[in-house]
Amino acid sequence: MKLSHVRPSTLAVVIPSVAVLATLLICALFAEWLAPYDPLQQNLMDMLQGPSAEHWLGTDDLGRDVLSRMIHGSRIAVIAAAEATGLAVLIGVPVGLFIGYRGGWWDWVTMRLVEAIVSIPGIMVAIVIIAILGTGLHRAMFALGILYSTAFLRLARSVVLTEREEVYVRSARVIGASPSRILVRHIFLNIAPPLIVQVTLTVGAVLLAEAGLSFIGIGVQPPQASWGTMLNTAAAYMELNAFLAVPPGLAIVATVLSVNLLGDVLRDSIGRGIRLPEATPVHVPASAPARSRSSEPMTPRADDALLVDGLTVTVSPKGGQPVPVVTDMSFRIGRGETLGLVGESGSGKTVTGLALMGLIGAGGRIAGGRVLLDGTDLLSLPASGLEAARGSDIAMVFQDPTTSLNPAFTVGSQIAEVLRVKQGLSRRAARDRTVELIDRVGIPRPAERADAYPHELSGGMAQRIAIARALSCGPKLLIADEPTTALDVTVQQEILDLFRDLQDDFGMAMLFVTHDLAVAADICDRIAVMYCGEIVETASVDRLFSHPRHPYTSGLLSAMPHGASGTPPLPVIPGTVPPPGSWPPGCRFASRCAHADAACAAPVPLTTAEVPGQQVRCVHAAALTLEAAQ
Amino acid sequence: MLRLIGQRLLAMVPLLLIVSVLTFSFTALLPSDPVDLIIGDRGSEEQYQMIRERLGLNEPFVTRYVTWLGQAVQGDLGTSFFNSVRVTDAVMLRMPATLSLTFASVLISVVVGLGAGVAAALRPRSWIDRLATVGATIGQAVPNFWFGLILASVFAVSLRWFPATGYVRLAEDPAGWLRSITLPALALGLSTSAAIARQVRSAMVGVLQQDYIRAARAQGLPARRVIFRHALKNALVPVVTVLSFQITVLLGGALIVEQVFAINGIGSLAVAAVRQQDIPMIQGIVLVLVLVVMAVQLATDVLYGLINPKARPA
Repeated sequence: MKLSHVRPSTLAVVIPSVAVLATLLICALFAEWLAPYDPLQQNLMDMLQGPSAEHWLGTDDLGRDVLSRMIHGSRIAVIAAAEATGLAVLIGVPVGLFIGYRGGWWDWVTMRLVEAIVSIPGIMVAIVIIAILGTGLHRAMFALGILYSTAFLRLARSVVLTEREEVYVRSARVIGASPSRILVRHIFLNIAPPLIVQVTLTVGAVLLAEAGLSFIGIGVQPPQASWGTMLNTAAAYMELNAFLAVPPGLAIVATVLSVNLLGDVLRDSIGRGIRLPEATPVHVPASAPARSRSSEPMTPRADDALLVDGLTVTVSPKGGQPVPVVTDMSFRIGRGETLGLVGESGSGKTVTGLALMGLIGAGGRIAGGRVLLDGTDLLSLPASGLEAARGSDIAMVFQDPTTSLNPAFTVGSQIAEVLRVKQGLSRRAARDRTVELIDRVGIPRPAERADAYPHELSGGMAQRIAIARALSCGPKLLIADEPTTALDVTVQQEILDLFRDLQDDFGMAMLFVTHDLAVAADICDRIAVMYCGEIVETASVDRLFSHPRHPYTSGLLSAMPHGASGTPPLPVIPGTVPPPGSWPPGCRFASRCAHADAACAAPVPLTTAEVPGQQVRCVHAAALTLEAAQ
Repeated sequence: MLRLIGQRLLAMVPLLLIVSVLTFSFTALLPSDPVDLIIGDRGSEEQYQMIRERLGLNEPFVTRYVTWLGQAVQGDLGTSFFNSVRVTDAVMLRMPATLSLTFASVLISVVVGLGAGVAAALRPRSWIDRLATVGATIGQAVPNFWFGLILASVFAVSLRWFPATGYVRLAEDPAGWLRSITLPALALGLSTSAAIARQVRSAMVGVLQQDYIRAARAQGLPARRVIFRHALKNALVPVVTVLSFQITVLLGGALIVEQVFAINGIGSLAVAAVRQQDIPMIQGIVLVLVLVVMAVQLATDVLYGLINPKARPA
C-alpha cells in the first residue's frame, strides 16, 4: 500500500494509532530509564496522593509513583500480548493446517473439542487453565494462548480446505507438479493476510483479558505493576482516590483502540487488494432539456378514472444536478379501461408507475404535473392523504412476486393486515375476507394456503396472492408493473387471464406496464409507447398495430417475432437508447431515425393524428409511410 | 416449533458430553495432590490413604468420570474440598446474582442497540449513526470492569445515586435489586449495545431496500408500521445470531464486573476455587455455565425460528 494512495481519513487513523503503539514500545524497552521512580519503592508518607509536580500521576495505596508503575506496566502489556498471541499462533496454525490437510477422524475430534471450548465463556476457560497452571503473568498468558489458539486453528483449517479444492482441480490440468508442493505454496500465500488481521484482533483481546484476569487477582500478581493490578488497587481505594483508576484504564483503552483500528485498516487494504479509484460522478451536460412540457394541457372528462397531465420526474444522482427521467407525461385511463405503457427498459415506465403512487425513492422528485384520480389531484395531497389513497384507491402489483411479499409473514396475514389497517375490519372478518380473496384469484384450498409463507409458494401462486392483496380494498386504479415478466411462460397466460377476469368483476381501471407489445396487445384496450421518458405515441391496440404513426412504434412492431419461423431475421432499430441526462432538446429518437431531418431539432409536442384518440410525437407523422404489424 | 426444540436439545447432548470430559480431565491435570490440599502437611499416611479412598482417587480415571457424571446428571456435583458445602448448593446460591447481571445487561444492550440501530438506519450519517459507529469501536477497546469502576466512582461514590457495592436479591426487594444491578448492567451492556446497533443498522439498511417494503408502502400501510413490523422482523434475523454469541461474552464479562461491585456471584466463587484448587467446585461451575450457555443458544434458536419461517423444519 503506497502512502500516496491512502485516503486522508485512513491516515488520520493510522498516525495516532502508530504513535500510541510506538510510545508503548519505547516505554516497554526503556522503562528503567524513563520511569522517574522505582515502581516498587514504597513511601507510606505519600499515600494516595493526586497528581503533583513530584508525582505527575499521583501515588497509590503504598505511596508508589503511579507514572513509574504505568511505564513498567507497559512492559508487562507488551510481554503479555507477545506471549499469548505468539503461543496462540504457534499452537493454532500448525494444528489447523494438520487437521485441514489430514481431514477425517483427526479433524472431526479436534473440531468437536474446539466447539466445546468455544461454547464456554472465554474468561472461564482461562480461569480453568490458570487453575491447572497456577497464577502469574507467564502462566496466565499461556492460558490465554491456548484459549485464542482456537481462532487461529479454525482460520488455518479453513484456508487449507479452500486451497485443497482449488489446487487439486488445477493440478489435474497441469500435470507434472506435485499437488502437495503447490498446496504448501498456495497456503503460505493465502494464509498470511487473514493471519495478520487475526493477530491484531488477538492482541487487542489479550490485552483486555490480561487486564481482567489481573484485576480479579489470578493474572499478574502484586507487587509487579501491570495495568490490571493497578486497577485492582484503584477499585479498593475508589472512595479515597478515584483518580487512581484513570491512567491505567486510559492506557488500556488507547492501546487496544490503536491495535483494533490498525487491524481495521489492514483488513481493508489487504481484503480489497488494490484500491479502486473513486467513481467519478457523471457530468450532466447543461443542454439537458429544461422543457417540462411541450404539449397542450389535458382537460378532465367525467369518465376518467385517471388523468395524468404534464408529469415530470427528476432524479438527483449523488452530489449531482437533478436529471429528468420522465417529461411531459400525459395520458388518461377511462373507468374499467386498461392502458398499456410499453417501452424498453430505462424508458421511464416503471418510474411513471411509482410516481403515480408517490413512491419514487430517495433522490427522485416530481418536478411538475397533475395526477387526477377520480378528480382528486394526488400530487397536491399531503403525505397522509396519499398514504390513505394508496391501497384503497390506487394499488400496485410488482414484477417479482417472490420478493414483493414479506418473507417473515404468512401470505394470509399480509392480506388481512391491509384489510384491518385500511378498512378497519376485525381480525375475524379480515381473515374471512382474505380466504375469499385467495379463493377468488384461483388458488385451491384457500384457507390452508392463507397460512403458507411466501417461500412455500410457486412464483405464479405468489403473484396471485400479490394480486389478491392489491385488490383487497377494491381500488379504482391498479398499476401492474411487468406482472408476468418474472414468471414461467406457461404461467404468464394464466395470470393475464386472471387480470382480465378480475377487471370484469372489480371494474377497476388498469395501467399495465410492460416491455412486451404482444402482452400489451393481449390485455390492453389502448397502448402508450414510451421512449426516453416521454410518450411518443398513443392509440387503441388495433389502430397502433395497423397504422403506427411514429417511426419508433413502427420499429418496435417490426421487431416483434411472428410465429415460430424466425425467418427473415428480425430487423432491429439501429443505435442505442440515449441515457437520461443526454437527451437532445428536440426529438429524442432522431439519432436513430431514418426519417430525421433539421425539423426534428426543435421540441416536439404530442399531437392528435388523423384519427381521434391517436396521438403522436413526430413532426413528420402525417407525411410518413410506416410499416405496420404483419 | 416443538420439533425444532427437540432437534436442538438432541444436538446438545454430544457437546455436553465432550465438555464434561474436558472439564473432568482438565481438572484431573491439576499439579497438586488434592489430599495434601485438604489435610495439609500434618496428616499421617493412614489419614492420607483414607481420604484418597473416600474421594475415590484410587479408582481408575474412567470409573471416576462415570461416577461423577452419573451424580452430576442427578444434580449432585460433589462436595467442596475445603468446606463441606455441596457444590450444587454453592453454585445455585451464587447463580442468581450472575444471571441477573447478565440478563439485565442483555436487556440494556438489546433495547439500546435496537433503538439506536433503527434510528441510525433511518437517518444514515446522522449524529446517532455516528455515535453508534464510534461507540462500537470504542466499546470494543474499553474493559467492561474499568467502565464499571468509572461509573461507580461517578454515580455511586460522588453522586450517591446508586449503591457502590453489594447485591440485593430480587425476591427480597425489587427496587433495591434494580438499584444494585443498574450500574454493573450498564457497564456490561452499553458497549455491547453499540455493537448490536451496528448490526441492526446494516441489517435494516439492507431490508429497507427490499421490494416487499416498497410493496407494503404501496398498499398504503403507515410508514411506522412498515418500519417496525415489516422491516424490523426481517432485520432481526441476523441480529439474533449475533446476540447468541454476545450473551456468552456478556456472561464471561459478568464474572469480572460483578467483582467491581462486590456482588457475590459465580465470578468470586470461581476465583476462590482456583486459588484453593477446589476441583469439584471448578468442575461444577464450568458445567453449570455451559448449561446456561446452551440454554441461551436454545432460546435464541427458538427465537430465530419464530422470526425466520425459513429456518423451521418442514
